[in-house]
Amino acid sequence: MRKKISIFLVGVLLLVTALTGCSSAKPEAASGAESTNGSEAASGAETTPAAPAKDTLIVATGYDAKSLDPHATNDVASSNIMEQIYDTLVVLNSSNEVVGSLAEKFEVIDELTYKFYLKKGVKFHNGEELKAADVAYTFKRATSPIGGSIAHIVGDIDPEGLEIVDDYTIIVRIKTPNSAFLPSLTHKGGGVILNEKAVEAAGDAYAMNPVGTGPFKFESWAKGDQIVLTRFDEYYGEKPSFSKMVIRAIPEATNRTIELESGGVDIAYDIATNDITRIEENKDLKIIRKMANSTTYFAFNTLKAPFDDIKVRQAIEYAIDTETIVQAVWRGVGAPAVGPVPPNIKYFNNALGKPTYDVEKAKALLVEAGYPDGFTAKIWTNDKKARIDMCTIIQNQLAEIGIKTEIQVLEWGAYLEGIKNGDHEMFMVGWSTQTPDPDMSLYGPFHSSQKGKNNFSYYDNPKVDALLEEGRKLADSKERQAIYEELQTIIREEAPWIVMENSETVVGVRSNIEGFDPSPFGYHVLYNVTIK
Amino acid sequence: MNTVKQKKNKKKSIWLDVWRRLRKNKMAVGGLVIIILLFLTAIFADWIAPYSYESQDLLNMFQTPSFEHWFGTDEFGRDIFSRIVYGSRISLEVGFIAVGISLIIGGSIGAIAGYYGGRLENLLMRCMDVLLAIPEILLAIAIVAALGPSIANLMIAVGISSIPGYARLVRASVMSIREQEFIEAARAAGSSDFRIIVKHILPNCMAPIIVQATIGVAIAILTAAGLSFIGLGIQPPTPEWGSMLSGGRSYIRDYPHMTLFPGIAMMVTILALNLLGDGLRDALDPKLKN
Amino acid sequence: MLKYFARRILMLIPVILGVAFIVFFLLYITPGDPARIILGDQATEESVLQLREEMGLNDPFFVRFGKYAYNLVVNQDVGKSYVTKRPVWDEIMTVFPATLKLAGSSILLALLIGIPIGIISAIKQYSIFDNVTMLFALIGISMPVFWLGLLLILLFSVKLGWLPSSGYTTLNAMILPAVALGAQSIAIITRMTRSSMLEVIRMDYIRMARSKGQDENKVVFKHALGNALIPIITIAGLQFGRLLGGAVLTESIFSIPGIGRLMVESIKMRDFPVVQGGVLFVAISFSLVNLLVDLLYAYVDPRIKSQYK
Repeated sequence: MRKKISIFLVGVLLLVTALTGCSSAKPEAASGAESTNGSEAASGAETTPAAPAKDTLIVATGYDAKSLDPHATNDVASSNIMEQIYDTLVVLNSSNEVVGSLAEKFEVIDELTYKFYLKKGVKFHNGEELKAADVAYTFKRATSPIGGSIAHIVGDIDPEGLEIVDDYTIIVRIKTPNSAFLPSLTHKGGGVILNEKAVEAAGDAYAMNPVGTGPFKFESWAKGDQIVLTRFDEYYGEKPSFSKMVIRAIPEATNRTIELESGGVDIAYDIATNDITRIEENKDLKIIRKMANSTTYFAFNTLKAPFDDIKVRQAIEYAIDTETIVQAVWRGVGAPAVGPVPPNIKYFNNALGKPTYDVEKAKALLVEAGYPDGFTAKIWTNDKKARIDMCTIIQNQLAEIGIKTEIQVLEWGAYLEGIKNGDHEMFMVGWSTQTPDPDMSLYGPFHSSQKGKNNFSYYDNPKVDALLEEGRKLADSKERQAIYEELQTIIREEAPWIVMENSETVVGVRSNIEGFDPSPFGYHVLYNVTIK
Repeated sequence: MNTVKQKKNKKKSIWLDVWRRLRKNKMAVGGLVIIILLFLTAIFADWIAPYSYESQDLLNMFQTPSFEHWFGTDEFGRDIFSRIVYGSRISLEVGFIAVGISLIIGGSIGAIAGYYGGRLENLLMRCMDVLLAIPEILLAIAIVAALGPSIANLMIAVGISSIPGYARLVRASVMSIREQEFIEAARAAGSSDFRIIVKHILPNCMAPIIVQATIGVAIAILTAAGLSFIGLGIQPPTPEWGSMLSGGRSYIRDYPHMTLFPGIAMMVTILALNLLGDGLRDALDPKLKN
Repeated sequence: MLKYFARRILMLIPVILGVAFIVFFLLYITPGDPARIILGDQATEESVLQLREEMGLNDPFFVRFGKYAYNLVVNQDVGKSYVTKRPVWDEIMTVFPATLKLAGSSILLALLIGIPIGIISAIKQYSIFDNVTMLFALIGISMPVFWLGLLLILLFSVKLGWLPSSGYTTLNAMILPAVALGAQSIAIITRMTRSSMLEVIRMDYIRMARSKGQDENKVVFKHALGNALIPIITIAGLQFGRLLGGAVLTESIFSIPGIGRLMVESIKMRDFPVVQGGVLFVAISFSLVNLLVDLLYAYVDPRIKSQYK
């Protein structure tokens, strides 16, 4: 028996030393990582099934696509695939102007009527030629209940007003004047053109058998694992320099970096902050960063007391130190947000400045509002780690002014349902400006008609409504600019939202990959990349 | 009545025997000592922990172990040692309450099935078969999703998912005892069925139940930690070991101490429970040890 | 014999219906509106209401379950995914190979390592080898699989760079997940082998064989092992069944698109038909594995065969 216990102790000791051994090796891992990385990469390259002669681009993303039917979903992971296989009528050029793509040119006939002249000889992946009928079919489908996910993007199109002039000319009418309409057609998802025959033939199976006109065509999809695309040889534009693309879903950021280092993937999306230096210091790898058009915000159900009181909302804004929070959670990635319109979107009002942190002022405002001792409330968030982390710090900061909070992490389904029912009090969520117009940044979250749908804070201000409607109608001008700047000012002032953070896209690529330029919309063009 | 009293005395001496045998098993005693220490830690957490489990220090994030912070700090600059100390509360609570739930429900079902037999038994045990056919972790995940995230719901989920094991065990024990003489005697004396089950049958089939429950606590702690590892059940800033592990997971390459210490805490706890469970089994069933 | 198994298969039907009922009920009370999930965040209230009506979501609970059960039993149809619109069966079949591979290699590992070590431990009871083995077995049982997985990645993928940290298509990629998932089974099977070997070794006929001066190896392998195998098979079968549905954590750590991850993702996305179908599938496979174990019993021990009438 004596022997047994001593063996037990030795065993425990061994285990503990083995484990702490790993932890004490940590400082060297931080500084000496690059010295070991070379050999790591070399040995890793042998073990991976490695593509022969690098004719294949392998990309690691955090999420698998949901569906490749552009009308059935609106998530970045799906758009990322659709970007490679579908085309839109118009695209944005590098200076953010709308220019033709599948449409050779277009005319704005009046504020409700647009005419598109299609390129000739554009082939779908099933061999069909692109015709005006396909465009009409696509937009009809997009505006039917099938397109519920993208109704906020192309829902303005009047399905009765689609007029096929000839095989290569189509007139599209919208229901209300909206200068954000053309930019919305550039959305990969809402704006892409489908082939009528392919969609009808596939039925429900279309989501996994997409047919587009893009440079890559769909080959296979192992759910949750990877999607394989191959080059479409009859593509009307410039042909990609490689013939195969594999997009792997690797949910763990750490694993994506490890795979990038070992050469298992060529491009890894959404690099964790703590891996950035590691990649930058590795001569085989590089980091590419770009500010994205999405804003994380902390908001209130403005129907519920005490959040129906502007003073309470303002008090909370003063009590939250956004700068510190963003620094603590993102550690140098992204930036504290200024307003509900992201900095890359036109009419961004920089004059507002970041929210100020002033605990005394916050306390005074609470007293004014009649809550000298604070109150208790719930904070909702979904299960994104960064958001949970921000809420955890906010919880601490609100405790300083006497507001006791309980954080509840809900899955998206439960979260949405709770918002629709108005069960929420304070909550953290994000909003992406999915088309390059401030209308997309503001109309959904702040117009009273969108309450419970995109307007999660049930914000209702007739003046804001009027300005939003006016802004939609106007063509780009000084006047339009003034409207959007005023909107941002009012919203910051009334604080239905406290803007937290503008996110940044951080992508790791191997050094032999050239020409990769991330998009601020979160889904990136991969087909024009070259592999050296 | 006399025989019952004798029975009681005899029972006492049985438990004394068990304790004597258990005492000789150093591994089991080691396990018991660890568990007692854990309980003390949980009870006196406020005195033991140098910091509060939720107090943040954003200027001192990711500190490696030092005199000030024995186990270092996490991504909010919170003291990991303090969080582990408070975490023992959560784990023990979840473990014991979950087992309590499954023991009470599963035990009742098993006792009723075993005592009455016949159609009722058949029905109850088929229901248990149904539950048994769903892997515990999947069932627990579905229950947590349905009830919503909270520690209480986590306990319920883990508890329900392990009901069938206890039901089967208790039923088997009850069946082996119900035909014995002293039960007949009690029945003849006019005791109610409920009284017979609670007073006479259950105390006599405690041995396997205790063993199963001890190991069951270990399993419950593991399942609960697993659920919070994938982000179900525990809400921040609760210092649950599984969620601490999952929080540290993203930083494992730079700051492995964040995952090491909660992992060790969890492993030691479960090891201790298993050691004790093993020891109890040997002590309660002397035939196995020669 | 055949009759016995036919009966067992038939008895599965109520169990499966019971599983369907439990899952259906749990999903019924789970917050999240399927119609809205299908139509997306942006759908109008009217179209959601209309779809709810079409899908029969406004029907009373038992009507809905009745329809589901009817489709399940009569048409063997478990519906289509809300998210991908593909048949649930296809969804499951795309992820099942990964899980099968993972569970299979784990159990194989457990048998290959657990049985020999268990035998040696039993023969050399109370030796240092035995004690160390038993200690490690206990540690193996106590090790949270997700923690072990993280430690393995830290050591073999990050520090040494020998093995990939994710994926499942290559043999190399399978090693870490199989070890992580299998660790507990290795420990359990080692302990089981040891204890059942010990039990058998003490039995009279083994003593007899020994006293007759038979070769020790022959005694161990022919007489003892044969009899000790029954509980080992039982436990291995149970373990395998559990691994099929219980690999959620391993799959999540090593980014393996298996059935466990499909279940968790589907619950999070409220893709109810997939959850229902997936749990049913796992329950059926688990029950079938158990049945198979019983079959093996009879094969290993002819005495049992006579009981099946």
